[in-house]
Amino acid sequence: MGLPGNIAQGIRSFFRRQALERDLDDELRDFIDASTAEKVRRGMPVDQAAHAARVEMGSANAVKHHIRSATWESKMEIFLRDLKHCVRGLLRSPGFTLIAVLSLALGIGANTAIFTLIKQVLLQNLPVRNPQQLVTFGKSTDGGILGGIDLGTADMFTYDFARQLETNPGPFQGVAAYTSLAPRVSVRVSNSAAALQIPANPVSGNFFHVLGAAPLLGRTIAPFDAATPHSNAVAVVSYHFWQQSLSSDPAAIGKTISINGKPFTVIGVMPAAFHGITQELNPPEIWVPITMVQEILLQPGFLEPRSYYFLHMVARRSPQSTPGADQAWLNRQIRDYVRAGEGASIAPARQQEIEHIAVRLVSAAHGVSQLRSRYGDSLKILMAIVAVVLLIACANLANFLLARAIARQREVATRLALGSSRARIIRQCLMEALILSLSGGVFGLGLAFAATRTLIAFVAQGTTNTPLDARPDSAMLWFTLAVSVLAGLLFGLAPALQVSRSSAMPTLNAGARTATGSGARTNRWWPKALVTVQIMFCLLLLVGAGLFLRTLRNLEDQDYGFERAHLLIATFAPELAGYKPEQVPSLNQRLIERLSAIPGVRSAALSETPPISSGAWTSSISLSGYTPAPKENMLSVLNRVSGHYFETAGIPIVAGRAIAPSDSANSMKVAVINETIARRFFPKGDAIGHTLKINIDSVEGPWQIVGIARDTRAGDPRENPERMVYVPLAQVIGKHGEGIQDSFASTILLRTAGDPASAIGELRGAVASIDPNLPILQVRTMQDQLETLMSQETLVSRLTAIFAALAVLLAAIGLYGVMSFNVVRRSNEIGIRIALGATGSGVQWMVLRESLALLGAGLALGIPIALAAAGLIRAQLYQMSPFDPVIFIGATAGIAAVTVLSAWFPARRAATFDPMTSLRCE
Amino acid sequence: MLILKTLALEPMHGYGVALRIEQVSQGVFRVNPGSLLPALARMERAGHVKCEWRTSENNRRAKYYMLTARGRKALVTESETWSRQVSAISRIMEA
Repeated sequence: MGLPGNIAQGIRSFFRRQALERDLDDELRDFIDASTAEKVRRGMPVDQAAHAARVEMGSANAVKHHIRSATWESKMEIFLRDLKHCVRGLLRSPGFTLIAVLSLALGIGANTAIFTLIKQVLLQNLPVRNPQQLVTFGKSTDGGILGGIDLGTADMFTYDFARQLETNPGPFQGVAAYTSLAPRVSVRVSNSAAALQIPANPVSGNFFHVLGAAPLLGRTIAPFDAATPHSNAVAVVSYHFWQQSLSSDPAAIGKTISINGKPFTVIGVMPAAFHGITQELNPPEIWVPITMVQEILLQPGFLEPRSYYFLHMVARRSPQSTPGADQAWLNRQIRDYVRAGEGASIAPARQQEIEHIAVRLVSAAHGVSQLRSRYGDSLKILMAIVAVVLLIACANLANFLLARAIARQREVATRLALGSSRARIIRQCLMEALILSLSGGVFGLGLAFAATRTLIAFVAQGTTNTPLDARPDSAMLWFTLAVSVLAGLLFGLAPALQVSRSSAMPTLNAGARTATGSGARTNRWWPKALVTVQIMFCLLLLVGAGLFLRTLRNLEDQDYGFERAHLLIATFAPELAGYKPEQVPSLNQRLIERLSAIPGVRSAALSETPPISSGAWTSSISLSGYTPAPKENMLSVLNRVSGHYFETAGIPIVAGRAIAPSDSANSMKVAVINETIARRFFPKGDAIGHTLKINIDSVEGPWQIVGIARDTRAGDPRENPERMVYVPLAQVIGKHGEGIQDSFASTILLRTAGDPASAIGELRGAVASIDPNLPILQVRTMQDQLETLMSQETLVSRLTAIFAALAVLLAAIGLYGVMSFNVVRRSNEIGIRIALGATGSGVQWMVLRESLALLGAGLALGIPIALAAAGLIRAQLYQMSPFDPVIFIGATAGIAAVTVLSAWFPARRAATFDPMTSLRCE
Repeated sequence: MLILKTLALEPMHGYGVALRIEQVSQGVFRVNPGSLLPALARMERAGHVKCEWRTSENNRRAKYYMLTARGRKALVTESETWSRQVSAISRIMEA
């Protein structure tokens, strides 16, 4: 019949059980009859023959049992019966089952949620062919446009170098390049009037080929598209863009869209999982050939040799070559390029310097991710924390199940005596544990789904297009299943071992009134060890929560150097609306006048970058009265600001004056420096009056220093404040007073009298009244902006606090359960003690002493481990020592309080034992 | 194997097989129902025998077992294995 027939027969026999039973009876009866007949034929008397035949067969039930167990469905029947028995047993104690399943659901759910995030942020490969062969030149996380640096600084390269390597890739299979920032471009789809601002990324011709990314529709950019500058206006769009703006039109290939006013032809659509090589919030949605970079960045000169350093590079390694050889080749290429640009003779010191230039090859199998560098460490910490919470829940369940097993010792002994195999009883124990853990897993999955969506929403901070996906996938399900089974086996181990050690002979002194009567000493060991471990873990979590919460508080209270309340920041992009540099100064003037007139606005200002941002406009400066040492770093961040900037942003001026509206195009060129520059270069405090020159031709200067402003802290408050030079916006003009490329301002600041959020509508209205086509990219209050900067610390500290509270709750429940059970088991002993004269408080102290001993052991183990762990997370903390005594003492006190509280009630109950009842009932 | 061989001659019911084996082996092998019937059930599941209900010699309803083609093949394989084992043992014993 074979396997399928076997299975079919088995299933059929489920339904025909009674008929089969009758058949079996008939067959046996027939056998006996035939045997009797044969014996009679041989000459035995009838009744003797019948008796002999029956004796030969033995017990009919035994034979039937043997016949039935020859088939597989009997094993299935046994399994199902055991299952029903376990489920009924669990349902008979609904409180215990509910708490168990709930605590497991929380533990497993939390683990799955964090795992999903970790998989997407840390582990996921790029959706391309053979991602492990991809490497980037340098970490490539920072974007920008730099000038006047050595090739490879900040992992940036020039267009001609990228071209050179593209045609001669050396040991690599291919070398491609992409712009390091994906600027927003104004996109108009043919039949809609509204323009969208979408990030776009110019890439080299072989970019898609090197990545090995196949399109969903149409084709990708090919090398011939990037052959001639300023031609081949083709674009490849992302799935999200195709869905949202092109309505998933299957005939979208060949359509024309307008990017920054120029028509581009759509030649391909990428699949949904592809976001380029970067993984970040707001990934690029349009890819164009590098030769169209001027149309995207709206600035000329990128394709000139040795002009701007703005490209990151990625390569596909060949399996035949070694990483060392690839690295050496790349370094050689870079050094040759730098040498070629230095001219005929190079000083030996410079030669040495060039020889040390190196750009490390970094594996890009997981793409280049800012999310990873931002959240990577936090996610790993959170994973450890949720694992600890699950372990605490498992320890609880192990204790509970152990208690049940001990209470059922009689039952087990009886079953063993009646002939049950020990394996079956152990199997039942494990089955009970697995039922609990799998049901916990099922609920945990639902919990995980909700939690993942919340976490992703938090990490995404309002951006609509993120590469993070909350949909459950098979990895999530497998992970949950694996964790449930492991957890079940983990806490099912203790009671199973307990059963395997029990004997068929009912414990002789089970009813005896001795201290050891209520279970062997070894029975007490497990719960004690587990509770100690729980206390240790809880201490760890409380210390962690305390450290992170303190860090968050420190960050929030941080003085950033400017007034952060009542400040509204908006980013706008006049170049996307087609403004030419010549039109900008008047636009800026009109904007300031209109914005200042908004009711409720105390002052308005324009600048290139807002106070909190570190800014990309940097250059080296030279100061009169200061001779820099050789090789001294003279870089400073620059910012161009309008008249009322300092009072709008609330940045105090510590000496001299701020930039005023009177600093116009015709007056003397003035500048304000910040305290860092003043301290560094004018320690005697005589900065005011000196002049400075900026190493950018268009704004060279000289600028007269008229004021010193307070330092502001940039995005990451952990870093030292940067050097800042402020110049008036109105004075960033060309030789004849016309607007230049650098005259563009991108930030509007408004200081409001009331709630800044209420002024958002007015702001938009004001800008629209000047030019309805002027796109506003983002409007936020400064408070919101700061909150997003602290999102990582907020996430970690809040989650750690929640998990620590959960863990303490679980440990308290566990401790209470263990203490109660111990007291109940020792009720005989306690009854005798009370009868012999022990006082209630004496008994209470005896029970409490036990729990205090566990607390002591837990703390003794936990405090050194907590100190070690705190040292490990030092990098996550801010302005505090990881060994902060207040937090450690607080955590210890908290755990001690919880322990004493949980043990109090059972101890109280023990003290009120009536010896008559406790000694009488058995 | 013995059961298969017995059934190869003709289909018979449970007791018939036990009787035949006892008779042919001249009393050396005595099979009791506690081992015969489970063995028959296992063979039925493996597809070597199939069964049907017939009336027996004394006009009673009895379950008759008969060999299938698969069973015949199994019998051939098993008897080959057996003869290999027997010749190996006799070689050792005579050496």
